[in-house]
Amino acid sequence: MSLLETVIFAVIKMLVIVVVMFLTVAYSVYFERKISAWAQNRMGPNRVGYRGLLQPFADVFKLLVKEDIVPDAAHKPLHTLAPFIALFVAFATYAVVPFGPSINLFGYDVKLVVADVNIGILYVLALTSLGVYGITFAGWSSGSKYSLMGGIRSSAQMISYEVSMGFSIAGVLLLSESLRPIEIVNAQYGWMWNAVLQPIGFITFVVSAFAETNRLPFDLPEAEPELVGGYHTEYSSFKFAAFFLAEYANMIIASCLIVTLYLGGWQIPYIDKLGLGETLTVILQVGAFIFKVVFMLFFFIWVRWSIPRFRYDQLMNIGWKVMFPLSLVNILWVAVLIMIFNL
Amino acid sequence: MPIFIVDGHQVEFKPGQTIIEASRNAGISIPHFCWHPKLSISGNCRICLVEVEKMPKLVIACSTYASEGMVVHTKSEKTIDARNAVMEFILINHPLDCPICDEAGECKLQEYAYSHGKGESRFEEIKNRKEKRVQLGPHIKFDGERCISCSRCIRFSDEIAHANQLTFRNRGDKVTVTTFPGELFDNPYTLNTVDICPVGALTNNDFRFKSRVWEMSSTDSICIGCSRGCNTEMWVRNNEILRLTPRKNDEVNSAWMCDNGRLNTFKFVNAENRIDGTYLRFNGFLKKAELSSAINFTAKKIKEFKSNEIAFIGSAYATCEDNFVLAKFAKSLGVQNIDFPKHIALGDCDDILIMEDKTPNSFGAELVGVKPINNGNSFESIITNIESGKIKALYIIDEDIASISDKYEKNLTKLDLLVVHSSNENKTTALADVVFPSSTYAEKNGTFVNFNGRIQRIKPAVTTEEMDRALDGMNMSRWDKFGTKFDRWMQGRRVDAKSSWNILSMLSLHLNGKMKYDMAEEVFADIASSIEEFKGLDYDMVGSKGINLKIKESIKVK
Amino acid sequence: MSVKKRKKDLNFFEKIYIVEIAKGMMLTLRNMFRPKFTMEYPEVKFEPPSSYRGRPVLVQEKNNVERCVACGLCSRVCPALAIEVQANETELEKERYPEKFEINMLRCIFCGFCEEVCPEEAIVMSKDYELVFSNRNDAIYGKDKLLVQVEQLSDRLDYLRKFKQ
Repeated sequence: MSLLETVIFAVIKMLVIVVVMFLTVAYSVYFERKISAWAQNRMGPNRVGYRGLLQPFADVFKLLVKEDIVPDAAHKPLHTLAPFIALFVAFATYAVVPFGPSINLFGYDVKLVVADVNIGILYVLALTSLGVYGITFAGWSSGSKYSLMGGIRSSAQMISYEVSMGFSIAGVLLLSESLRPIEIVNAQYGWMWNAVLQPIGFITFVVSAFAETNRLPFDLPEAEPELVGGYHTEYSSFKFAAFFLAEYANMIIASCLIVTLYLGGWQIPYIDKLGLGETLTVILQVGAFIFKVVFMLFFFIWVRWSIPRFRYDQLMNIGWKVMFPLSLVNILWVAVLIMIFNL
Repeated sequence: MPIFIVDGHQVEFKPGQTIIEASRNAGISIPHFCWHPKLSISGNCRICLVEVEKMPKLVIACSTYASEGMVVHTKSEKTIDARNAVMEFILINHPLDCPICDEAGECKLQEYAYSHGKGESRFEEIKNRKEKRVQLGPHIKFDGERCISCSRCIRFSDEIAHANQLTFRNRGDKVTVTTFPGELFDNPYTLNTVDICPVGALTNNDFRFKSRVWEMSSTDSICIGCSRGCNTEMWVRNNEILRLTPRKNDEVNSAWMCDNGRLNTFKFVNAENRIDGTYLRFNGFLKKAELSSAINFTAKKIKEFKSNEIAFIGSAYATCEDNFVLAKFAKSLGVQNIDFPKHIALGDCDDILIMEDKTPNSFGAELVGVKPINNGNSFESIITNIESGKIKALYIIDEDIASISDKYEKNLTKLDLLVVHSSNENKTTALADVVFPSSTYAEKNGTFVNFNGRIQRIKPAVTTEEMDRALDGMNMSRWDKFGTKFDRWMQGRRVDAKSSWNILSMLSLHLNGKMKYDMAEEVFADIASSIEEFKGLDYDMVGSKGINLKIKESIKVK
Repeated sequence: MSVKKRKKDLNFFEKIYIVEIAKGMMLTLRNMFRPKFTMEYPEVKFEPPSSYRGRPVLVQEKNNVERCVACGLCSRVCPALAIEVQANETELEKERYPEKFEINMLRCIFCGFCEEVCPEEAIVMSKDYELVFSNRNDAIYGKDKLLVQVEQLSDRLDYLRKFKQ
């Protein structure tokens, strides 16, 4: 492929991803509202469009036409910047998530990933740590004690859980011997999913992912009873929408990562043995990826409506005294696997 | 003084006092319906039964004289039993229509039914039906069913009003109050029977169903119907005066007031024709103007006249404060023509309350200096001098000169400048070049001096635009306390008016800077320091019941 | 921090809460498939029981005369000062009728004291919960809106007769 063609494909893939991501994020809000309603024996949004399917647009439109309020005490440049850092980081991470194997399109071999970076996982780790800045800036620049508390909690929480998250990933990397997401997926051929091989690592990663995305039971940065709205107390209109979308984008990213790292990515076990056509196989595999991600999203929401929020000390306890040792145990376990079974 | 014992307390009494009187003076109240301190003893209601040791039966406290060493029990079991029985007996035929009855809230029977009744009745038969809505006289409606036949009204018209117009008819449970055949209950004091009626049998036509008593605020005031200066209470709801009732003051009006004073001295305060804001004459028409521009205009105009071309007319309807400031203002301009018209209805008086002088403050106006200075003109000659053109500018406060006679009205048209303070539109304001809106006696602080030199306070009961019930320390009803401007029951009319002394002091400040008063108290302090008779007085000393001025005998005789 | 003694010490499996969390999550999952309680309001309306305290209304007898005698007790007892009554005289036997009867629905707190205190059973709490107005003046309900025919209130009147006192 020439450089031009690469660029064109990259741009097309980026556009597709951005549009799809925006829609997905918007609909994940709808999804969340519906599921939470069902969990509480309610109906959820059902007025805008058929069964409320246009609700996300109504929500976004409402947020856009609202008045944008910036508090007097706010540090205005940072206050404006913060939500966009959060949003940018959330969306940029998608670049390295592979949602299918290579596909032959118009005679070109197209990889179903925006950027097949050989250090993809490092890139993900780097960007997710950057996400803390969005929240911390928002908390500090709002000039409000609630926001500040939310921001501080958020950074403390993220730093703590990033450790166990990193160590969990280390286990995956040991097995796949690569930092390239596609290789990691390929390494999970058949039933050799990392979730199966290293269940402890899977659990610590999922828990850390919950913590990293500030989802319940780890949503201390925006704990309503204590902090009003946490770091986004002083945000309204489009800036609030940006935080809101970033949270859901993060949730989807986390789901994608869990799927990629532990649930075999797009892989359907032994599908190549069925002798289906190549195109059909790829479509099924992309479908499988989407299915797995949606299941993880459902899981996120399901957990949210089942488990109450931790207390701050419990949060730190779990982070440092449970998750961190467990992820170390996992590395040991992976090492044993490699030594004994020579995987 | 001899002593007897009531409920274990030693109580002093004057020989000839009854148990109820002596106990009352000592602060022990014995229930009573028919007994009234100002009326003769009837002893027919029996609610005041008390136990007296060594007497075989209970006795009625209202007609048993206290005697040395007597031991009275007003709370013993026997007494309470008797009271309960009497209450049950009275309530046998009394209808349970408190929701409809206007007396509810200030009803003796209702109060005693709570404090002394058993709360139940053993009477199963049908209650008596009697005449309802009987028009006893021009002002009074009578409800026979509610009457408990205490005879207070009959005794009042006989003993106090000296008009024997009411009597009982029939006997037993058929007894009812009625006028003598062919007569109307129409003496000048009939409405006092509504006040003393212990139930709602007698009602005031004018107030009937207007308001529940607990919805109003009441403010101590003075009647302006004549120079007696009866002490009254002014009942206000939604910034509207609904009724006047007499207030007890043995020095002035005992516990009574006349029907004329009660009915005809407050309606102009609520009237539609109140002057709301300042008016100036432009091209022959009175137009609403800013107070400040009217003051500018008046000050400029007054300067154009020589002092002997100006005359000031005070008012016996206005307070001492208003008149004092007017006199002081005249003096500062060197004007000697200052007086006030007298409103005397010859022969319209009696030896009970009503006086010939139909103004509340003619004595006071004269005392504070509203009288011709040196060889200045008196009221009559001011009018004649207007006619002859010697007096060209006239300044009137709170008087309707043009309505006194057609001749006066014609004379006023000859003036070059006519400035009027008035609360309501009238013939004089129609002729005026400047009309200042003055507060009525219900809207200001001040003092009146009655015919025999007793100075008495009036307090604001109605708010004008510039006043605030809470901030100005006025009496407030529950509605007033908790209302907001969005509630319809708080949106009663508030007139844009000021006390005459206030307008005058603003004018004076503008014209020559001689006077500046912000409060009626300041004016009164000035009066107290400059007028001999008022020496050493202040509003607190005048109090709610007034105080007699030290009047020199020479003035008193005149 | 001192360790608090629990009533019953948890064993290891209970301590890691995994089972309990799974139980909890199954509970929420089961609830997702249960029937919904939601009433789709404008199409489906809630029919309140007779003990329901909706907006207060005045009872109008069959001859189109209101029961109210304008005694003002409801006005006096109203803790929110929502009721204003102006009485006047009528030729009817009841002597007194409300010339003006206004309830400020912005003040009303639906406590039902007015109904409880009313000596004539003239003001009762209806089943009407649909109160919409767009300005302060519309929120003041006069006799035109308050008077309701007695048949329409029979539920509440029966209820009161059964349970009042």
